[in-house]
Amino acid sequence: MKKVLSLVLAAIMVLGIASAAVAEEAAGKPFIIYAWNEEFKGFFEAYVQDALIAEGYAPQFVINPSDNGVYQQKLDEALLGDAQVDMFLAEADYIQKYADSEYTQDITKIGVTDFSNAYEYTVKAASDADGVVKGVSFQCCPSALIYRRSIAKDVLGTDDPAEVQAALDSWEKFEAVAADAKAKGYYMTASFAETYRVFSNNCTSAWVDADKNLVFDAQIEAWIAQTEKFVENGYTLTDGIWGDEKNAQMFAEGKTMCFFGPAWYFNFCMGNAQDPEKGCSGDWAICQGPAAHFWGGTWLMAATKTQNADAVAEVMNAFINNEEICSNLVAKNAQFSNNKAVNAKFAEDPEYGSDFLGGQNDVAVFAGMTDNIKWENHTIYDQLLNEGLQTNLQEYFKGVVTKDEALANFYKYVNETYPEIVTPE
Amino acid sequence: MKNKANTKGRIMLFCARFVAYFVLIFLSALCLFSFYMLIINASRSNAELQAGFAGWFSTHFIDNLTNAWNDASINIPRGMLNSFMIAAACSILTTYFSALTAYGIHVYDFKLKKPAFYFIMAVMMIPPQVSAVGFVHLCNTLKLTNNYLPLIVPSIAAPVVFFYMKQYLESVLPMEMVEAARIDGSGEFRTFNQIVLPIMKPAIAVQMIFSFVGSWNNYFIPALLLDKAELKTVPIMIAQLRSADYSKFDMGKVYMFIFLAILPVIVVYIILSRSIIRGATAGAVKG
Amino acid sequence: MRKHKGVSYAKWGYIFILPFFIVYILFTLVPQLTTLYYSFFENYRDGLKQIGPNYVGFANFIKLFTPDKTGSIDILKYFGNTIILWVMGAVPQVVIALLLAVFFTSYRLNLKGQQFFKTVIYMPNLIMASAFSMLFFTLFSRVGPVNQLLVSSGMADEVIDFLAIRVSVRSLIALMNFLMWFGNTTILLMAGIQGIDQCLFEAADIDGANSLQVFFKVTLPLLAPILVYTIITAMIGGLQMFDVPQVLTNGKGTPNRSSFTMVMYLNNYLQTSKNYGMAGAVSVVLFIISAGLSAVVYRSLSKSYKN
Repeated sequence: MKKVLSLVLAAIMVLGIASAAVAEEAAGKPFIIYAWNEEFKGFFEAYVQDALIAEGYAPQFVINPSDNGVYQQKLDEALLGDAQVDMFLAEADYIQKYADSEYTQDITKIGVTDFSNAYEYTVKAASDADGVVKGVSFQCCPSALIYRRSIAKDVLGTDDPAEVQAALDSWEKFEAVAADAKAKGYYMTASFAETYRVFSNNCTSAWVDADKNLVFDAQIEAWIAQTEKFVENGYTLTDGIWGDEKNAQMFAEGKTMCFFGPAWYFNFCMGNAQDPEKGCSGDWAICQGPAAHFWGGTWLMAATKTQNADAVAEVMNAFINNEEICSNLVAKNAQFSNNKAVNAKFAEDPEYGSDFLGGQNDVAVFAGMTDNIKWENHTIYDQLLNEGLQTNLQEYFKGVVTKDEALANFYKYVNETYPEIVTPE
Repeated sequence: MKNKANTKGRIMLFCARFVAYFVLIFLSALCLFSFYMLIINASRSNAELQAGFAGWFSTHFIDNLTNAWNDASINIPRGMLNSFMIAAACSILTTYFSALTAYGIHVYDFKLKKPAFYFIMAVMMIPPQVSAVGFVHLCNTLKLTNNYLPLIVPSIAAPVVFFYMKQYLESVLPMEMVEAARIDGSGEFRTFNQIVLPIMKPAIAVQMIFSFVGSWNNYFIPALLLDKAELKTVPIMIAQLRSADYSKFDMGKVYMFIFLAILPVIVVYIILSRSIIRGATAGAVKG
Repeated sequence: MRKHKGVSYAKWGYIFILPFFIVYILFTLVPQLTTLYYSFFENYRDGLKQIGPNYVGFANFIKLFTPDKTGSIDILKYFGNTIILWVMGAVPQVVIALLLAVFFTSYRLNLKGQQFFKTVIYMPNLIMASAFSMLFFTLFSRVGPVNQLLVSSGMADEVIDFLAIRVSVRSLIALMNFLMWFGNTTILLMAGIQGIDQCLFEAADIDGANSLQVFFKVTLPLLAPILVYTIITAMIGGLQMFDVPQVLTNGKGTPNRSSFTMVMYLNNYLQTSKNYGMAGAVSVVLFIISAGLSAVVYRSLSKSYKN
């Protein structure tokens, strides 16, 4: 028994050490990209990898899951330490943490200079406080109002996107229609936070001022006031943005008229609506809604310490300025590319349309609204402040705590998460 | 008179058995239910999972299995092998050295005996979260990332396992046996390995199971230390499936992998739990 | 035994405990001491910028114990939550486990299908805590099967939001912890009972002792060291309760932070801003509480069984 165990142990140790020391296939100059999933890796391998290998690079992805903040923790460790990082991926929610730091570099100095075809907000998002551009996005994620055609017909008398847009192009109209929808037995939205991004993307002040005081923008206050009214009048359900109760509203038997989201949302996250039996594919359409906004998107950032600046620039240019690659992203990968000229081509194509949206050309709608999307007043704290505000206020909207208690809990969360931020007394 | 007592005894025994089976069946049903939910979910497609909970199996069990198996971002057999190596090494090291330490403190008298014992008891109270990030930082400094040693070697010093071994020795080890072994001329290490360890078999088997499971399911520290694809363990791969992008995200695969990950542990558990019982028989013979 | 035939065995004691201490000091003690040390510093990250470490004396501890404007002290509230959640889950856990361990080891009962039951009750512990919480979350959501059952059977008039009611969230957490750990405790106690010399049970039987007498006069006293272990580790585990409430309530300890535990509090400080100052202070408080409670339990129980 003992001998067997010690043999097993010895074998494991040897195997463990041996496998740890597996030699790298060093067939070129290592080019290291940090990512949390394989989405970009797929595009990279399809469109740019061969060229880089031909130039003598050996591209390697270091992929760490985002669960429990592992991705950012390891990326930070790598950027601050001496590990090699040439390029890394970042999401809109936390991009400022990296863009507004010394660990990313000015890409105009390494050869990425033409942003004429990229959407302005995607360039601003990857810029630091002084406007120095540190990265580019390979996708653009304008977010639309996604409505049920049949419910719109019942409530508004039309399901035509232009007419629906005219009926819903301001918050006043949106609220008036919510009342009509309610009168006919429908919900306007299925989550208390459904409209949050539409408001927060259009804030005129940042979450935190120069003295690090927490500031509630008028848009945030407006969202709170609107949601109070919606919950009180039964215009909305109080579920979370990813909740089961909201998802159940996407079935054909659902009673909710409006959802908000970009192409990835209705293509991949509205599974219930696409269900062949209980779903209602084709009974949907999109329009801009009360205000332009975006949701999600992934950016490529250039690490300051890269020794492979040429390769970084080559990849970045490929994904914003190479028309062939950008066209492939739209046609083959269901992306809304970050190249205006390419998107315009698809927007004008009468053959191009989405079955889910009853044949509507979604690229045309998105192309029409991207110019109105703003990237202003963002801070490195946005992701968790937005999340924290929503989850703490949800208890208030559910009637579990008072508004003061909910806000007090939000401030506690802020104090624990960001010691430097000063919360109101 | 004796007969009457016997009948009464039989009725009592019957009632006791009835209660025992009732309690066991009730609790087993609760436990199996959570497992049942997992298998149900492993048989459902991503869209079905999004539609909410269902009480019965769906038809996607095989789809989920092949999808998870063929997912290019993970390698399930490799992950299981990696996890198995780490977990097996941890469970062997942790039980052997904890037993050794416990024996050292239980049997010998030395100046630092009490301080050593209280030290181990005290460090048991420190929440593991506290040292996790510091530990990772240490490993980064020592260039021990993408290496299994920092995941295996620290298991030599497990205060909780030590404490169990110590308590177990207190309840089962007669000092006379150690003395007798010494009179027979047995060296101290031999006494421990050949006389004490067999007596401790049930305790060792129990703690081996626990540390195997703990290590098998451990996500946070391994995730922070390993990033080479060929070194990743099961929980890291599951987390990777969960952070997949929208076009590839599939909860069906996630539940399938969670389900698959349980199977090897059940086998290990059944094998080791036998020696809990066998150990007892050995004890009876010894008595 | 101190000096047997003039031989001192003291050095063997040191030799046997040496590997443990070397490894512990190298891999665990250093990070732990650093954390404790930093509880007296301002030390965190603002984005990627490191702030501190700046020595601030007891400021972090004072901050922890400063009442908010409603007069309640957060850390005490979270400590109270932790204790409530722990007691709700751990008391049934130890009692049931003790009962089952006796069932399994009683040769008089001689239960059939033991291997099956022993395997099944341990199974919830094999499922990762996060997956287990995810399952319960969908089970008890507003559109989950429990609500469907309650409403369709007429037991509830309308959908119950289990995850927004203090009692139900706490009960769910306790239930999950119970399910995950009672099998574990049963096995521990069972191994303890198996270690007891079977002759003692047979002797008691011959003397005509009934089951209860055997349990209280033979099993319990001899099992005492293992029971002490079980209670102390269950207590430490309970005070460090984290993953189940974290996943079930999405890290928020809903409703109104009534299921927010000490380690969730600690985790909030550590996760984003790597605030070693405050996290260190919380863990020092947690350490003092755990050590104090454990010392009391260990002393009182050890005394009672050694007498």
